[in-house]
Amino acid sequence: MNLALRLALRDLRRGGRGLALLALCLFLGTAALAGIASLSAAMLAGLEADGRRILGGDLELRVSQRRATPAERYAMARLGPGSETVTMRTMARGTSGEPVLVSLKAVDAAWPLVGRYVQAAGAAAPRPGRDQAAVATVLADRLGLKVGDPLRLGAATLRVSGIVADEPDQLGEGFALGPRVLVSADTLDRAGLVQPGSLYEVRYHLILPRGADGKAAGERWVARFRDAGWSATPAEEAGRGLRRGIGQLGQFLLLMGLAALAVAGVGVGSGVAAYLAAKTRTIAVLKVLGARAGFVAGVFLAQLAVVAGAGTLAGLALGAAVPWIVAAVAGDALPIVPRLALYPRPLLLAAALSVIAALAFSLPALARARAVPAAAMLRDALAPAERSVRVTLAVVGLAALLVALAIWTANDRGLAASFAGATAALLGVLWLLGIGVRRTVARLPHSRRPLIRLAVANLHRPGAQTDRLVVALGLGFSLFAALAAIDTSLSAAIEQTAPTKAPRFFAIDLQPDDYPAFARAVRRVSPGARIEATPSLRGSVVALNGRRVADMKDLPPGAWVLRGDRTVTWAPTVPPRNEVVAGRWWPRDYRGPPLVSIEDRAAEALGLKIGDRVTVSVLGVDVDARVAALRRIDWGGLGLNFAIVFSPGLIEEAPHALLAGVYSAGGRDGVVARSVAAAVPSATMIRVGDVIGRLGEVLAQVALAVRVAAGATVAAGIAVLAGAVAASGRARRADAVVLRLVGATRAQLLGAQAIEYLLLSAVIAAIAAAAGLGAAWYAVVQVFELPFRPDGWAVAGTLLASAAVTVAVGVAGSLPVLRVRPAQALRDA
Amino acid sequence: MPRGQAGPPARNARIVTSSSPAATTVIDARNVRLTYGTGDAAVHVLRDVSLSVLAAETVALLGPSGSGKSSLMAVLSGLERATAGRVLVAGLDFGTLTEDALAVARRGRVGVVLQAFHLLPTMTALENVAVPLELAGAPDPWGRAEAELAAVGLSHRLHHYPSQLSGGEQQRTAVARALAPAPALLFADEPTGNLDAATGAVVADLLFDRAARAGATLFLITHDEELARRCGRVVRLADGRIVSDQVA
Repeated sequence: MNLALRLALRDLRRGGRGLALLALCLFLGTAALAGIASLSAAMLAGLEADGRRILGGDLELRVSQRRATPAERYAMARLGPGSETVTMRTMARGTSGEPVLVSLKAVDAAWPLVGRYVQAAGAAAPRPGRDQAAVATVLADRLGLKVGDPLRLGAATLRVSGIVADEPDQLGEGFALGPRVLVSADTLDRAGLVQPGSLYEVRYHLILPRGADGKAAGERWVARFRDAGWSATPAEEAGRGLRRGIGQLGQFLLLMGLAALAVAGVGVGSGVAAYLAAKTRTIAVLKVLGARAGFVAGVFLAQLAVVAGAGTLAGLALGAAVPWIVAAVAGDALPIVPRLALYPRPLLLAAALSVIAALAFSLPALARARAVPAAAMLRDALAPAERSVRVTLAVVGLAALLVALAIWTANDRGLAASFAGATAALLGVLWLLGIGVRRTVARLPHSRRPLIRLAVANLHRPGAQTDRLVVALGLGFSLFAALAAIDTSLSAAIEQTAPTKAPRFFAIDLQPDDYPAFARAVRRVSPGARIEATPSLRGSVVALNGRRVADMKDLPPGAWVLRGDRTVTWAPTVPPRNEVVAGRWWPRDYRGPPLVSIEDRAAEALGLKIGDRVTVSVLGVDVDARVAALRRIDWGGLGLNFAIVFSPGLIEEAPHALLAGVYSAGGRDGVVARSVAAAVPSATMIRVGDVIGRLGEVLAQVALAVRVAAGATVAAGIAVLAGAVAASGRARRADAVVLRLVGATRAQLLGAQAIEYLLLSAVIAAIAAAAGLGAAWYAVVQVFELPFRPDGWAVAGTLLASAAVTVAVGVAGSLPVLRVRPAQALRDA
Repeated sequence: MPRGQAGPPARNARIVTSSSPAATTVIDARNVRLTYGTGDAAVHVLRDVSLSVLAAETVALLGPSGSGKSSLMAVLSGLERATAGRVLVAGLDFGTLTEDALAVARRGRVGVVLQAFHLLPTMTALENVAVPLELAGAPDPWGRAEAELAAVGLSHRLHHYPSQLSGGEQQRTAVARALAPAPALLFADEPTGNLDAATGAVVADLLFDRAARAGATLFLITHDEELARRCGRVVRLADGRIVSDQVA
C-alpha cells in the first residue's frame, strides 16, 4: 500500500473524529440529492412499468363530445380488441338532496382491458349493471350512501351497487374535480346525461397484437383521421401530465437538494479547515522527519477521501432507500406506486456532485496545510495567508464543473441554470453580508456588561465562524422564509380575490333551452345574483396559416392552446375583463366570414398576427377564421375567460351548451345548488370554493415536498453550526476557566452563550427575512403575476422557529463549557 | 521515485566537501542572520553568527531566553531559512534548497528532539519511530524502530500511544525517533526541560550515550550549566550573537 495512504489510515485510527463534520455534511448533502433523484426515478419507473394498466390498454384513442363513427369503429376493430369509456362531470344527489359534483365514467362490458376492477366488500353486483352505480368511498361518506341506496344523476335515479376500491385506469385520466361515479354504458344512455354540446370525453382503449408499436399505431390513426379531433396515447406515455408533473417537481426538488449540498459544502470547508488546523503540529513533525509538502498533502487528501467516501456512501445508501421509506410511510398518499429498485444514474449523479463539492470546498484548507512550514513545530508558525492563484482557479473550476454537471443532467436546463445562478448569487450575497456582520460587530462600542461583551466578542474573535454561519444558516432560513411568503401570498391572492371577484359557481352543460329555468332557480334563492352565460363548445386548433399542427415537430413554449381540446365560444362584443390590445373587434351584428380573437400571450407564443388564419376543428368540422383582434385577459378574477373567441355566425350552428358563471351571495351555496338541481337536473354546478380547495390540497402536497427538501438545507446548516460550536470549544473552555476564576456562575456562563446565539440568530433571521422576501416577491409578482401579500406573522413565525432551533443547538453544544473545572483545566494547561 | 523515499538533494543544492579529511565539518555556518518582519517592526534574532562543528562533536548552546538559541538550531537543522549568510550542513548548502529539498535533506542526516516531545499523537510509539524510516525508504523500518525503542528501554511500550506514556517515556521515544535513521547530526532543544530532575538525568544519559554509539554530532540547547558541562564544547549566545565558544 502507498506510504501516504498507510500513514493516513494510521493517523485516522485515533485522529479521525475531527472529520465528523465533513462526513455528516456530505452524508446530508448526498442523501438529499440521492433521495430526491431516486424517488423521482422510482415514481417515473412505476408510471412506466404500470403504463398499460394506467392507460387501460396498449393504445388510447380519445375524442371529445362525440363517439366514434361506424367507419372509425371498423378501423379500430382491425387494430385489436377494445373498450369504450365515456367520462364527464355531472351532479349527483343522495337521499339528502345535496348536489355534489362528480366525475362520471360510463364503461362497456369489455372494460377494463388491463388490470382488475375491484369493489369493497358487500357489493350487490361485481360491477354496476343497468340503472346501477358504483361510487367512490369519499362520495359515499359525503352523501352517507351505502349499497342499495338511491343516487340521482341528473334526472335519472340509480341504485348504489358497490363502492369502488380500485379502478385500474383512473390515473391515466388525469386530474378530476369530483369523486368517481361508475356506471354502465347503457345506463349513461338511458339517464340522458349526454345532451348536445355536453362536455364529455370518449376513450377507446385497445389491445394491440404482441410486438405492435403503440406509438406508431396512434400516429397513424391521428394522421388517418386528421381532422376528426382524435388524440392518441400509447402505453409508454400513459399519465403524460403526471409524468411531466413528477419530472418537474423532481427537478425542482433536486435543485433544492443542490442548495443543501452547497450549504453542506460550507460545512465541509469549515470541518476540513478546523481539522487541518488542529493537525498543524503533526504536519510540521512530518516535515521535520523528511516529508515533502506534496506527500503531506497526499496524506491528508487520502484521509479526506476515506472519510468523505464513507459519508458519501452512507448518504447514497440512505438516498437509495428513500423510495422504500416513502412507500412505507406515505404509500397511500402517492399518486402512483414507486417501483422499488436501485437507480444507478441518480446515485452516480449524487455521488459525482458530492465528490466535486467536497473537493472544491476542501482545497483551500488542504493548500494551507500543504504550506505549513517545518518550523511550526517550534512555534505557532502560520501557513502563508496569501491565496494561491492555482488553488483559486482550481476551486472556481470545480464549482463551474459542479454547476455544469447539475445543468447538463437536468431535464429543464433553463430552470436549472436560473436556479443555480440565483443560489450562487444568494450565497455570494450571504457571504458578503457575513463578512460585513463580522466586521460591523467588531466595531460596535463595547458593552459595560462583561457577559454581553464576551458574547459579542465571540462573533468576531479570531477563528469565529460568523461569516460561514451566516451563509450556511442564512440560505436555509431564506428558503423557509421565501416558502412561507410565497405560500401565504398565493393563499391571500386566492382568498381575497375569490369572494369579491370570482363567481360562486360555474354551471356547465347547460342547455340553451334550460337557461331561463336555470336563471329563475338561481334568483329565487339568491335574488341579487348575477349570471354571466356564454355559449361553449369544444374545439382543437388544427392548423395555423394552413400549416397543420399535427405536422409540427416541436410545439413552441407557451403553446398550450395547441394541446388537446379547448373550450371556445363566440361573442358579439368584447367579453368582460377583456381588453383589445391589437386589431379591431367585429361589429355587434357581424355575420361575415368567421373571425377570431386570440389571447395576446397565446398569440405571441404561436407567432400569430392580425390577419393570420387559424383553423379550429369543432365537432369534426374545420372552422377557418381570420385573426381580427388580440385580447389581454384579466385572469385574476377567476371568471369565464376564453383564449379563443369567434365572431357570431357560422359557428352558432354547431350543437352547443351554455357555460355560466353565477355570482350569488356568499353563504347560500348549498341553497343555490339544490335549487338548480331541482329545476334543471342536467346542469352541472361546480362550486369555485371546492375547486380552490382541491387545488389547495395539491399545492399543499407540493409545498410539503418542497419544505422537506428545504429541510435538508436547514439540517446541513445546523450541522455547520454544530461544527462551528465544536471548533470553538477550546477557546470557549479557556474563557470559561478565566470567568470561573474571577467568580462567574454557571448560569452566567450559560447566559453568555445564549446571548451570543441569540445575536447570531437575530442577525441571520434579519438577513433571511430580507433575502427570503426578495425571492418570494420575485416568484409571486414576476412569475405568478399576483399581488405580493405575504403574511408577516407566518414569515416571522417561521424565522422565529428557525432562530429558536439555532439558539438551542448553539447552547446545547456549549453545555460542556459549563462542566469545566478551573483547577483541572489549569493543571492540564 | 516513489513518494516518501529518500532521493538526491535538489538540483540546485551545492555539495561542499570538507578541506580536512581527518576531522569532517558537519556544520559550517558563516555570517548567518535571521530577521523577522521588516522596517521598524524588524526583529533581528541572529546577527552574523559564524560557527563550525566537527563530526561526532558534542556542542552545548547556552544563553538566556530570547538570545536566539532555538532560532539558531532551527536554521542549522533546516527548519528555518536564514535571512542572510551561508549554512552548510553535512555537505549541503541549506540556503539553496527549497522547503521540500530541505525535508529530503534532513532524512538520515538530521535528527531533532524538542522540549515538548512532538510525537504524533495518533500513532503508537513504534509507529512514531518507524515514520522517518518509512519516509526515507529504509529497509525493515519496523525491525529497526523496535530495536531503537529497545535501546532506549521501551520494549514494553511499543504499542502505547503518546497519551499513554509518561513524559520521560515520550522523550525517550522522541530520542529513538530522532536516532533511528542514524543521522549525522542530532539537535536537542531543551530535551529535559519538561521533565523532573531524575527523569531528565535518565534522558540526558540516553542522549549522550546513543549519540556517541551512533557517532552522531550532538548539538544540545539548554539552560542547564551542568548538562552543558558534559559536552565537549560550550557555545554561548546573547542577543543573537555568539559571545563565547570554549572547548572543554
